[in-house]
Amino acid sequence: MSHTHIRNFCIIAHIDHGKSTLADRMLQGTGAMDDRNRREQTLDDMELERERGITIKASAVSVEHVYNGQNYELNFIDTPGHVDFHYEVSRALAACEGAILVVDATQGVEAQTVANLYKAVDADLELIPVINKIDLPSAQPEDRALQVEQILGLDAADCIFTSAKTGQGVVELLDAICERFSEPKGNPEAKTQALIFDAKYDDYRGVVVYFRLINGRLKKGDRIRMMRIGRTYHVTELGKFRPKMTAMSEPMEAGDVGYMVAAIKTLDDVNIGDTITLDTDPASEALPGYQEPMPMVYCDFYPSGDTEFDELREAVARLHINDASYTYEPTSSEALGSGFRCGFLGMLHMDIIQERLERESNVSLVQTAPTVTYEIELRGRVDDLPGSVAGSGTGKHKTIQITNPADLPDPSTILHINEPIVEAEIITPTSSIGDIMKLCEQRRGIYKSQKFLSDDRQILEYDLPLAEIIYDFFDKLKSITSGYGTVDYQLKGFKTDNLVRMDILVNGSKVDALSVIVHRDKAEFRGRLLLKKLKEQIDRHLFEIPLQAAIGGKIIARETIKSVGKNVTAKCYGGDVSRKRKLLEKQKKGKERMKRIGTVDIPQKAFMAVLDTSE
Amino acid sequence: MPYQPIPLTNMPPDGHATSPTNPAAQSHAGAGAGAGVTINADTSAETSDPLATKTAVDSLYIHVPFCFHKCHYCDFYSIVDTQQRQARFADALICELTQLADQYLLQPTTIFAGGGTPTLLEPIHWQRFLRVAQTLGILNRIHEFTVEANPETVTDELAHILATGGVNRISIGAQSFNPTLLKTLERWHEPANVQRSMTRLRNAGINNINLDLIFGIPGQTLDNLADDIDRALALQPTHLSCYSLTFEPKTALTARRDRGEIQPIDTGIDRDMYAYLLDRLDDAGYDHYEISAWSKRPPPHPPTHSPTLYPHATPAHVTSPTLPLAATCVLDTNNTRPPIDYRCQHNLAYWRNQNWLGIGPGAASHINNQRWKNLPHLARYIDTSPTPARIDHEHLTHAEQQSELLMMGLRLRDGIAIEPAQFPTHTQQEIQRYITVKMLEYHHNRLRFTREGLFVADCILADLIPS
Repeated sequence: MSHTHIRNFCIIAHIDHGKSTLADRMLQGTGAMDDRNRREQTLDDMELERERGITIKASAVSVEHVYNGQNYELNFIDTPGHVDFHYEVSRALAACEGAILVVDATQGVEAQTVANLYKAVDADLELIPVINKIDLPSAQPEDRALQVEQILGLDAADCIFTSAKTGQGVVELLDAICERFSEPKGNPEAKTQALIFDAKYDDYRGVVVYFRLINGRLKKGDRIRMMRIGRTYHVTELGKFRPKMTAMSEPMEAGDVGYMVAAIKTLDDVNIGDTITLDTDPASEALPGYQEPMPMVYCDFYPSGDTEFDELREAVARLHINDASYTYEPTSSEALGSGFRCGFLGMLHMDIIQERLERESNVSLVQTAPTVTYEIELRGRVDDLPGSVAGSGTGKHKTIQITNPADLPDPSTILHINEPIVEAEIITPTSSIGDIMKLCEQRRGIYKSQKFLSDDRQILEYDLPLAEIIYDFFDKLKSITSGYGTVDYQLKGFKTDNLVRMDILVNGSKVDALSVIVHRDKAEFRGRLLLKKLKEQIDRHLFEIPLQAAIGGKIIARETIKSVGKNVTAKCYGGDVSRKRKLLEKQKKGKERMKRIGTVDIPQKAFMAVLDTSE
Repeated sequence: MPYQPIPLTNMPPDGHATSPTNPAAQSHAGAGAGAGVTINADTSAETSDPLATKTAVDSLYIHVPFCFHKCHYCDFYSIVDTQQRQARFADALICELTQLADQYLLQPTTIFAGGGTPTLLEPIHWQRFLRVAQTLGILNRIHEFTVEANPETVTDELAHILATGGVNRISIGAQSFNPTLLKTLERWHEPANVQRSMTRLRNAGINNINLDLIFGIPGQTLDNLADDIDRALALQPTHLSCYSLTFEPKTALTARRDRGEIQPIDTGIDRDMYAYLLDRLDDAGYDHYEISAWSKRPPPHPPTHSPTLYPHATPAHVTSPTLPLAATCVLDTNNTRPPIDYRCQHNLAYWRNQNWLGIGPGAASHINNQRWKNLPHLARYIDTSPTPARIDHEHLTHAEQQSELLMMGLRLRDGIAIEPAQFPTHTQQEIQRYITVKMLEYHHNRLRFTREGLFVADCILADLIPS
């Protein structure tokens, strides 16, 4: 097919605005998928994606569409909308000439709509705004189109109104793609350069690389070279997504989007953003790549129940083959034994990884409360510090980074503790603005600006500590705005604050997995709340259990779990035996799922109590 | 109400109904509670072939589902029957019994009729049932035959029929003597009728009487409990069952608690109440032999010149309403019998995991590590007579058997004679751990809870049982 008839584009939107459903409907519209084979959200492959109704990984499809009597090839890339997966979006954008910006007709422009739009504009993409879900009774399509004009600066007249549910407007959208987006740039005669925008692991074929051919040609049998890492591979399969991967024998050329299989064993051998060229006739330089995704939050996974450390190691490594955006390294805790310290793009990413580990590898694990990376500036020169990750010298003081509160060095050696600060953009109904500002201030935010989006919506910009965001910011924002507020953020840098480590003692012994780094002014409050939550989580034992929160040696809060006064089955006769035995077995099972620390059984949930902020 | 024997049409004519005392019963009486599983030599001798292959049943439970009102704490199968299905129920019960007597070696040493309210079954039906049981030889080896009674339902007529039919023990659901607390439980009876019932039963010759009491009732104080115990002890029962109120799932009481209408008492007070019972009943001469059961203590040194006594079916013709307790027991002439044992032999069979059969809708059975239950549905029970549908069938695994051995056996204050090595390492370690913290102990080579351990028996058991 002539490249004048190829369109490469992606779909970007705020989470839950209907991208994946719209993509499915477009597949139907083009006849790539008949109704019989239709499964909700075809592009969301993962069981978890379909269950949660979210897209986690970018995913690509090629289909044909007839416009003005001519055949067009449409390659589209579905992207995640959640803030955690921004990097997936920017990867997808680099492979396209156009972007469809989906806005929910009931909810209007949200924080990620704005963030994704900026990314698309930065990437120099053409845009088609789409107002989706117009079938809903509460839809306000014209109003939302006006919002698109006012807030995003796109012409309201350009908006296409669709209902992914009923199919209304989908053909118009496909026509608009053919009409408004330009043909792929790039020169088929130039030296081969293909951009890797995603990769996934397949049990049978190894790594499947998703690429956009920017210049030159590629065919099955070619010997290729990954320019950044310098390795060469032999292409054994080359194909397109229609909508499932379909192998092709003819060569692909500049402008095509496709996948390749080349006997690549692990995802670690593939760098997203790397450039593929021909080993025999290489391009002189690589395409501008992406930045590596940066883990923003960290937590530990420890085996629990029947799961052994080795099983967990295998599960963590196996999942990493599929999702290279999380990091893991072995760690150990006095309380919980051996486990892994893992880094994630955000809280949702963390939840998903934890759930996928449990679901796909059938391991049972204890997850500790998430924390961020801290930069610790030390007094004088210290060359050998326990528990530190890669240290770096800044000026005259040595700086180390820690991701685990338990790794914090002796307070007397610490000059400053710096924490990550993000630039946050909060879109909120005007009616909630006062409460949101109060929330940001409580969360140690620094006010930057306030912009009006429309009569009833505003954008607030704050610099906020990331630790506060992962603590409870999302929940609070949602509850203050009845679900209408949204936030997007990106890392700005590190900043010093009065931070201390708060330790938790259960029955007199420190449980390192419960230690948190908190602002000194909030330590008492957090300590009391945390102990209250722990008290709810830990069952009464046969003895009294003191719970204490301490900074250094100083106890700042305490609670007591009373002992079991009485727990004995009053009646147990003929008809009761089975039922009572099953109750005992249940009681026993409940205990087995707990971690015994000293003489106290602590349920897994308790390690997340640190995060539970309901008062 | 006048009563007369109405034999069931398909039953053999009753040849010797007037003489419930029979040689077999006497010769086996001394075998005691533990003799259930093995067939006594006498019995096997007289039944040399087909019977010898049948499974011997130690105990029989009879479930009578009728109630005139459902008490709010009760989770047993019971119905307030307005359909006058008593006759058909009794027919079905008799048929089931007959059928099982054919299938098993059904000569139990204990029988227990519970409910529901067994005493709500009209005397005429009781009489029919007891005569058939007699005819089938089911009462031949009986040591103890208990019927549960509601204080409102014990009439002279019924007491007489039960006593002459072989019943020798009555368990009365007194629960409390405090009208307010009875109201909380939605238990409908007049406290004074407990005493009236006991007098009627004693007049009929039944002196082995248990009182059921409930403590830990919402609103109850320790003083209230002391008062209940005073009143119970004044009635001189031979046995007391004191149950801590349990909020069973799907009961009206639990629903009221969940709606916040009633407030369970504090576990601290519940604990104090139990501690009070342990001390008080011991002082009053009752032996605590199971978590919730106390039996009147036998005299320390039975006088050698007088025959030792043991409770037994009292033949109606030797009963005098005014006789003191001892005289209502059958005399043991050869003087080698164990002393009087007022422990509930039937419940001991449960706690010792012996074989028992249950008849009636909802009744459970346990035979050679198989458990099942009759479908708890009166209409279906009647319709499917004599082979009612069975549900919840399970065959106990080795681990489950061990769990039950611990769970049931440790309920007894005597504990259990176990060889720790027979248990998994985990259980052995936990036993040792709880011995160290003085929650378990070996007493006369039997493992048992210490007094401290009793209060938290379930927590300990959950740790002990094999997975």
